[in-house]
Amino acid sequence: MSKLSYAVLGLFDTPDALMHAIPKVRAAKLGTVEAYTPYPIHGIDDALGLRRSPLGGMVLVMGTLGALTAFGFQYWISAIDYPIITGGKSAASWEAFIPIMFEVTVLFATFTAGLGMLLLLNRLPFFGHPVLSSKAIKGITRDRYALALEAESEAFDSAAAAQALQAAGAVEVEILPAPDRSPFLTSDYILRTLGGIFVTCLVAGLGIYTLTKWFPLLAPMKYMQDQPRLNAQKASTFFKDGRGMQPPVPGTVARGYLPTATGTQDAAATLVNPLPRTKEVFALGRKVYGNRCEVCHGALANGSGSLTAAYGAKPANLQAQQFRDYPDGKLYWVIVNGKNAMPSHAPYLTETQRWAVVHYVRALQRAQNAKDEDLKVVAP
Amino acid sequence: MSSKPTPPLLLGSVALGAAGVLGTYFAAGPERFWANWVLWFVLLFTLGLGSLFIVALEHLVSAKWSVPVRRIPERLATLLLPAIPVGLIALGAVPVLYPGSRPEAAHHPILAGKAFWLSLPFFSARTVFAFVLCVIALAVLVGGSLKQDVSRDPAFNFRARKFAPAFMAIFALVITLVAFDWISGLTPEWYSDIFGVYIFAGAFLSGLAATALSLLYLQGEGRLEGVRGDHLYNLGAFLFAFTVFWSYIGFAQYMLMWYANLPDEVIYYKVRLAGAWRAITFALAALHFILPFFALVTRDAKRDPKRLRRVALLMLGAHVLDIYWLIFPALGGSPRFSWPELSFALFFLGGILLWVRGAMEKGEDMPVGDPFLREGLEFRL
Repeated sequence: MSKLSYAVLGLFDTPDALMHAIPKVRAAKLGTVEAYTPYPIHGIDDALGLRRSPLGGMVLVMGTLGALTAFGFQYWISAIDYPIITGGKSAASWEAFIPIMFEVTVLFATFTAGLGMLLLLNRLPFFGHPVLSSKAIKGITRDRYALALEAESEAFDSAAAAQALQAAGAVEVEILPAPDRSPFLTSDYILRTLGGIFVTCLVAGLGIYTLTKWFPLLAPMKYMQDQPRLNAQKASTFFKDGRGMQPPVPGTVARGYLPTATGTQDAAATLVNPLPRTKEVFALGRKVYGNRCEVCHGALANGSGSLTAAYGAKPANLQAQQFRDYPDGKLYWVIVNGKNAMPSHAPYLTETQRWAVVHYVRALQRAQNAKDEDLKVVAP
Repeated sequence: MSSKPTPPLLLGSVALGAAGVLGTYFAAGPERFWANWVLWFVLLFTLGLGSLFIVALEHLVSAKWSVPVRRIPERLATLLLPAIPVGLIALGAVPVLYPGSRPEAAHHPILAGKAFWLSLPFFSARTVFAFVLCVIALAVLVGGSLKQDVSRDPAFNFRARKFAPAFMAIFALVITLVAFDWISGLTPEWYSDIFGVYIFAGAFLSGLAATALSLLYLQGEGRLEGVRGDHLYNLGAFLFAFTVFWSYIGFAQYMLMWYANLPDEVIYYKVRLAGAWRAITFALAALHFILPFFALVTRDAKRDPKRLRRVALLMLGAHVLDIYWLIFPALGGSPRFSWPELSFALFFLGGILLWVRGAMEKGEDMPVGDPFLREGLEFRL
């Protein structure tokens, strides 16, 4: 044990005597003045000149940080890293973030308040606090009021301190030896351990995140893949017909698609193309024609597409007089119902796309059979 | 206790306001008139009931710190008395504003099932029932306290403590009835279980703000000697805490409806988040929560009379805005604010201030007969 003493304790019989002694002892400026009383005494904080605890400010800062952390994390998860639309809400719906922001704010704030008070400011745990092992402690917990002059440095003069306390009216004076602080379970140790755990969690989390991003095979959780479910194009024992994929209920119509026309081709002759002849419509018709018609009917609609030779099929030459005389409705009917070897295109083309193709075919027919007057129309 | 002359400014405000109020009925139409009338009835009622809640809360938990300031919420609670005639007149609004009480409601698929509950006779009966409960509570808590000034009989404290738990049940019933009937009754297809709690939060806050404001005003006149920063701190802490409570309840109600996205529920917020109402909604969140929260967050702010006075004024204004925001969208269209609203404000604010001025002269400034008064004065944080 070192020769240094921790503090000098002066005992008083009444709280008033203690309160009167405080300014005198403080004026001696020998060390930190601390009071030990059996119960709280009003006004002692001001008398001791205790500074306002910084804990409130720490809690405010950490609470705000908690709110921002929760918001940032949720925003990053749901709007940037893995956006999934749920319930028709926008991916960055702040309303959904609020409860978690609230909880994390409270979490950060309470942890800061609790741990900050115990570990940072009070430096607990402090086993074997010298005052606890003093002779005076029995009195202090019952009916005595103690004032301590605590050593601030090695230059602390315990004899002078004892004198100052006696001069201020202390009935009894006790010199306390330096504490035998536990070398192990100190607040620094606990703070370092907690910090270590925090950093470990952070590193582990970020590590796993980057690993799974770079090596997707190392998926940490595969439950989503292994779950019992119906796979596309696979058999299943769940339904009576043994199929995994079920055909839609008869009569089902997809959004944007009109039901397949059931009338005859002649009946369809009276249909009128509802689309205007605009640049956009022709552009759409050209695109759709290129995707679905060109392989057979050819880029010029003359029936010599790239598939024709391979399969020995004979697609219609739409430039033939017969088809140039067709009304729009009849062309439309063929797209919807198919004809001869041509299958129905109704499932693949929306109503708008079908009529756009009709317009485009008309344009191709006119382009291949252009007259002199047509040139004038093009002139601006 | 010298009776002071009535300031002509308040009388003038009431007279001018009264002319505007009458003018509203004939020039701006009964719908606008009744919407304003219901707004000020709800304000008067929540202010009074919120103050009475503060009084009952003290008895319920046997608080000592608030004994020296208790006379102020007791006096403010007497606002429930003028609220009764105002409320009885407001029943005239029922056939005009409340769809559930109109004859068309019989053919409405939802309202037809609630026809009896929403009908004018039962609506009036509930309102009168709420008034009767309020008067009983007022007589026991405030009347008893005033009598104790003379009798100095500590038996009142025991009686009040026994009555306080019963009052909490009465309070919950009354404020829920008023909230459901008078405010959410404007949109009877829409309902929210937590609505009564939302109105309670606003009522308690307005009662606290009015208490703090009156306290500081009386202290400015050199009265209420012995009430210190520690008492102010507690009032401020209550105000601070309940701004969070109010926004918690308000947001909880909003978020569930936003998530579920049911048409008959979200329409309530759809209306309030469209056009100019959107700005008012955000202003309400700022004035009722964010501003007072950050104004009161530090320890010094809660015991600083100047800061507390400003926040209390803000809180009362925000409470009026809150009720305006609850009632006026039901009229349809964009927010209306012009001479009818102004004259109603002049009339009722003048009237409330006149009443409170009078009430502040009744009895002693502190409950001198309360055996805990001394302990309350010695209260330190």
